[in-house]
Amino acid sequence: MRVAVTAAGVGRFGKRSETLIDLLCEAGREALDGIGRKPVDLLVVAHMAGGTFAGVENTAAKVADQLGLDTSAGFRVEAASASGAAAFHAAVPLVAAGGYDRALVIAGEKMTDLPSAEVARVLARSLAPMEIAHGATMPGLAALVASRYLTRYGVGEDALDAVTVAARAAAARNPNAQFPTAVTSAQVRESRPIALPLRLLHCSAVSDGAAALVLERTAGPAGVLGLGQATDHIELVERPDLTSFRATQVAAKRAYEAARQTRKEVDFAELHDAFAPFALLDLEDIGITGPGEGAAWFLNGSTASDGRFPVNPSGGILGRGHPVGASGLVQIAEVARQLRGESGPMAIARRPKRGLAQSIGGLGSHNFVTLLGDTGGGGR
Amino acid sequence: MSEVPPLAIVRCDHCQARFLPHPGLCPRCGSDELVRTEIPAHATVLAATELLAPAAGWPSPHRLAILEATESVRILAIVRGPLPTLGSVVAVRRTNDLYEVVLPSPG
Ligand SMILES: [Zn+2]
Repeated sequence: MRVAVTAAGVGRFGKRSETLIDLLCEAGREALDGIGRKPVDLLVVAHMAGGTFAGVENTAAKVADQLGLDTSAGFRVEAASASGAAAFHAAVPLVAAGGYDRALVIAGEKMTDLPSAEVARVLARSLAPMEIAHGATMPGLAALVASRYLTRYGVGEDALDAVTVAARAAAARNPNAQFPTAVTSAQVRESRPIALPLRLLHCSAVSDGAAALVLERTAGPAGVLGLGQATDHIELVERPDLTSFRATQVAAKRAYEAARQTRKEVDFAELHDAFAPFALLDLEDIGITGPGEGAAWFLNGSTASDGRFPVNPSGGILGRGHPVGASGLVQIAEVARQLRGESGPMAIARRPKRGLAQSIGGLGSHNFVTLLGDTGGGGR
Repeated sequence: MSEVPPLAIVRCDHCQARFLPHPGLCPRCGSDELVRTEIPAHATVLAATELLAPAAGWPSPHRLAILEATESVRILAIVRGPLPTLGSVVAVRRTNDLYEVVLPSPG
């Protein structure tokens, strides 16, 4: 699959005054500038709920028009909080097959226009009707996963705190992050309880933001090595295991097989930590550690920028902010920038050859894994 | 232990999966060979949480637990009292399409 990410654009995450279309175009323009404004013949746009959050539909045509992509082809893709990853996974095979020469993939969300209670209600629509009927929320179900994980593996809540502390320390090096200040584990532990054992600082924040990248049929340092995705039962209780996300496990297996690689050949990852416990599960689900061992990796610094397997050098979703539709794509953009040597102060200690992005849609019901790496050609 | 009526569940005759009544086909294998059956309404508490930022219309705190009944059927249930101890066995009841942990009667 000779397709590579040849440019990326990431806007500032946080509360933004611009419209969703403007945010998408801002990131898109930065990515297009990165390829010297060469023509693009495919535009794939993603957001989770732009109609509800931002009152806008028909986004692909509107973005194409505003970016001057005259009569390009395109469409919008949706997979809940993994929408951005889904857009990338939709675009890659179209470019690989030769149907299009160059694709611009853009994903974003504009969430802060709505009151936070309304945002929570919209996000919960990704859950099963039965779960909503019982008063479950995203953090509530994440807390149940955490509760089971901590009990099953005898892990303390300090592992959850360590995930947030690491995310915020990394975000302090990311000029686009919503939370560019470090926090201590005591601050995490003293933050307001949301759904015990989860506290405010264990949960990602409502945010505005967008990311974009360009895909071309070429080799390069950020070549697409393999893609994998999988759905799982919508109801958490119907899944065989509460302490892992099977959809990530299957997606990772598919991505490794497509890339003819194993987990041992991956140097670092951007993982979906919308809630701190997810980072522990994610690290296990992509096969870097065994079940129940993720906590120790975060506690002993193995996932730090200079650790054995750096995780979320961009600050992750906890530090960067979570404009839901954008998150799956900004992860891939940040992996590509690490591989292309474009991460500036976020660069991990050893220049990586292969990186992985893992995105969760809903409460782990539709997950994506993307493997990027050097496919030669040198083209930067 | 409280006396509670058995819980209705569904068994898939094709893949033998067991789950709570559920719209559509067998979530595991897609078969329509679904048979209604019953299990005792006692279950082990696998996980529990207290929501202090509950969804609109719910009291704060709103408490939820995931229970595991016989034949590996798992249930998301509301707890209208103190959270039960993880690993303990509780009775569960379905009322108006909602599952609730049955609280021990006072005294
Ligand atoms: Zn079945």
